[in-house]
Amino acid sequence: MTDRTPVLSVRGLSVRFLMPAGRRIAAVTDAHFDVAAGECLALIGESGCGKSVLASALLGLLPANAQGAGEARLGDLDLLSADERTLARTVRGRLIGLIPQSPAAHLTPVRTIRSHLEETVRAVSGARGRAAVRAAAERAAERAAFPADHLDHHPHQLSGGLAQRAATALALVGEAPLLLADEPTTGLDRDLVDHTVDELRRHVDDGQRALLMITHDLAAAERIADRVAVMYAGRIVELADAETFFGVAGPRHPYGRGLLQALPDRAFTPIPGMPPALGALPDGCAFAPRCARATDACATLPPSTGGISCHHPHVPEDLRA
Amino acid sequence: MTCESAAEPAWRSYGVRRRSTTAVRLRVSAALVAVTVLAVLLVPPLVRLDQQTVDLGSKLLPPGWAHPFGTDDLGRDLLLRCVYGLRISLLVGVAAALVATVIGTAVGATAGALGGWVDQGVMRVVDTIASVPHLLLGIFIVAMFRPGVWPVVVSVALTHWLSTARIVRAEVLSLRSRPYIDAAVSGGASRWRVAVRHLLPAVLPRAALAAVLMVPHAMWHESALSFLGLGLPTHMASLGNLVQGGRSSLLAGQWWPTLFPGLFIIVPTLAVAGLAGAWRERIDPRRRSELML
Amino acid sequence: MLELRDITAGYDREAPVVRDASLTVARGEAIGLLGPSGCGKSTLARVAALLHRPESGTVLLDGEPVRRWRHRAPRGLRTAVGVVFQQPRLSADPRLRLADLIAEPLRATGRRDEIPQRVAELAPAVGLTRDLLDRRPHEVSDGQLQRACLARALVLRPRWLVCDEMTAMLDASTTAALVAAVEDYRAATGAGLLAVGHDHTLLRRWCDRVLRWQEVTGRIPPATPGLPRTSGPQQPADVPPAGDR
Repeated sequence: MTDRTPVLSVRGLSVRFLMPAGRRIAAVTDAHFDVAAGECLALIGESGCGKSVLASALLGLLPANAQGAGEARLGDLDLLSADERTLARTVRGRLIGLIPQSPAAHLTPVRTIRSHLEETVRAVSGARGRAAVRAAAERAAERAAFPADHLDHHPHQLSGGLAQRAATALALVGEAPLLLADEPTTGLDRDLVDHTVDELRRHVDDGQRALLMITHDLAAAERIADRVAVMYAGRIVELADAETFFGVAGPRHPYGRGLLQALPDRAFTPIPGMPPALGALPDGCAFAPRCARATDACATLPPSTGGISCHHPHVPEDLRA
Repeated sequence: MTCESAAEPAWRSYGVRRRSTTAVRLRVSAALVAVTVLAVLLVPPLVRLDQQTVDLGSKLLPPGWAHPFGTDDLGRDLLLRCVYGLRISLLVGVAAALVATVIGTAVGATAGALGGWVDQGVMRVVDTIASVPHLLLGIFIVAMFRPGVWPVVVSVALTHWLSTARIVRAEVLSLRSRPYIDAAVSGGASRWRVAVRHLLPAVLPRAALAAVLMVPHAMWHESALSFLGLGLPTHMASLGNLVQGGRSSLLAGQWWPTLFPGLFIIVPTLAVAGLAGAWRERIDPRRRSELML
Repeated sequence: MLELRDITAGYDREAPVVRDASLTVARGEAIGLLGPSGCGKSTLARVAALLHRPESGTVLLDGEPVRRWRHRAPRGLRTAVGVVFQQPRLSADPRLRLADLIAEPLRATGRRDEIPQRVAELAPAVGLTRDLLDRRPHEVSDGQLQRACLARALVLRPRWLVCDEMTAMLDASTTAALVAAVEDYRAATGAGLLAVGHDHTLLRRWCDRVLRWQEVTGRIPPATPGLPRTSGPQQPADVPPAGDR
């Protein structure tokens, strides 16, 4: 499925923050990945590994003390060099639909879902006239399976699942080719996680959209993703097919393997140690201090080959045989 | 897809957005407050002129080179009078705001931390006092003492601690239900320790902000009392006294004895309020937009 | 034994969140309590930690009934139960360095002299390094802060530990590390555990016995969120009752 032309193509994306006293925080370093229409890429990693910063960079929502490098192509547009005007008028809502963490907090509490949808319809589509806007809003709700009889409700009257659908409906209004879901399942019960993730998958399966889902929930990623990008200390250390990654072959990077082995339905053993602070990364492989396979070679930065950045990756079974 | 970029990538910076208006407001306010403080501190010792010098030969002169703000009906230099007046108004304002903040924080924190009937009782008292117009209550308090600085400070403080008490109580109540207070209780902390070590330090920035925001209010209140002739004795003319003194000549078309003291009330109070507003944006976490990893 | 008998508790007398909940945690036993979010399990956890006074029902610690709650509870009883909450950001005093955060219960109970030794023991047990101990909460990640919060709960050597969704915000590796730290402590001291959560895979792996909310309260929890609510109280408020028209 990677032979399709990508919707989003990220090349050498780096983000750093300039802190007081000349400190530099390398939040994202040299990220490369593509997402194609009809495909879901899950960006996984623990909190503080830089994955939310990556999302902010794509949306042009970095704070003033941030610096970016590289490019993120969405069609003909480079998101990283686009000015605020372009981002506001053509990107957010129209080219990228954002599905937020905690949707209930993302909706204005004093307005109904219908009013949210109609406002978005007016802002991002050509629909004019009350009837047309109303109809477009109802169609958007229907696409996200948001029940029509709840359109006149306020956000606090909705259950977690319905609030999530309302937020999804808003993200879908602009027919954006890329959906960006930032930790959409944090704090939800397992049943609701499955439900939310299945609905997101449905919006990708029609082949029109690409979905980039940022999450630390491996079970959710396994359920939804076609491909997985593992982020550690600001770098994407492994990019693999979800089936291989979660399947018998397993991850090839020792960090990805460690993460999976920490799951309660697997070995339930933690990776020893803790990730390094992004302000003080080692020169070589950032995972080496926690890695059982580390050797002297790991004092230099591993090159990225075949989607893996590791000097000593696990070799897939079929190659060894 | 080999991607070794040994060379330092080309960094681009983002945004100087949404900073500018706050920064300008902050700078203008800070400059005005600095000028005010310097004038009040330096002018009296440096300029060895007596603001009380009566010169009936030059009474009610319009603004000019000799007297930039003109003179009043006794021929006294209005610029000098205004600076001295501001000194007294500011002194009363700051003193009253401090006293009011101490009372308000103590009452609000006690009510919030103890809760229950103590809270109910205290807040009913606060509501009752707040239902009487400030100025009326202020007049009542001043009238009980001989004229002087302290009765005015007490009058202003006793009418202004209510808002601080409410702010602090609300803050304490919202903090009290935080898990970290639960954790402290579970860790064996006494009620006193929770209040002094965990709740109070958290509300102090808010209380300090309320104190700064109260300085303009206190100055206005003092001016109003003085304008009504109930404030400071006339030999310690505050800005309110000056406005009051200029009132009689206003009808005769002499505007300067009212306008300049009036401006001396308005400009510094707005500057202090502006500074406090910028500070609030800094300490209010909801408005923070800095890096969160 | 930590016993909760017929606990009814909530924040509004008219509508208690928990009704008639009963459960028992024996010494050395790990109990998992499984329920959907919003069912009242956090309230029950706070009752078990003596942090919330129930409207009715009894809590017994080793057979001794608890009569006073929060500050009023005798210090010895309060500190016999350690608690860890879901959100480390809200559970840590933002002004304290992690070392002071961990030591705070020792300071509060007047055992300052034990501080250096206990902090030095606990930091490695929960996986915190020296340099992290000098940082303040906003300078560390959620996972690192939660490790400190766990250390704080263990510093007084509680006989029971109540973990309310301790790992819901954390990644798999940190989750496994924190659970391992809890289990090491329990193995060394024989403490009991009440772990409250909604992740059945995790709780079944972690605990000796997993109870569902309905087994504890004899009630079925509110319908699974995610399905449209259609019934009465959620009607829009601007529709007047039929009789008014």
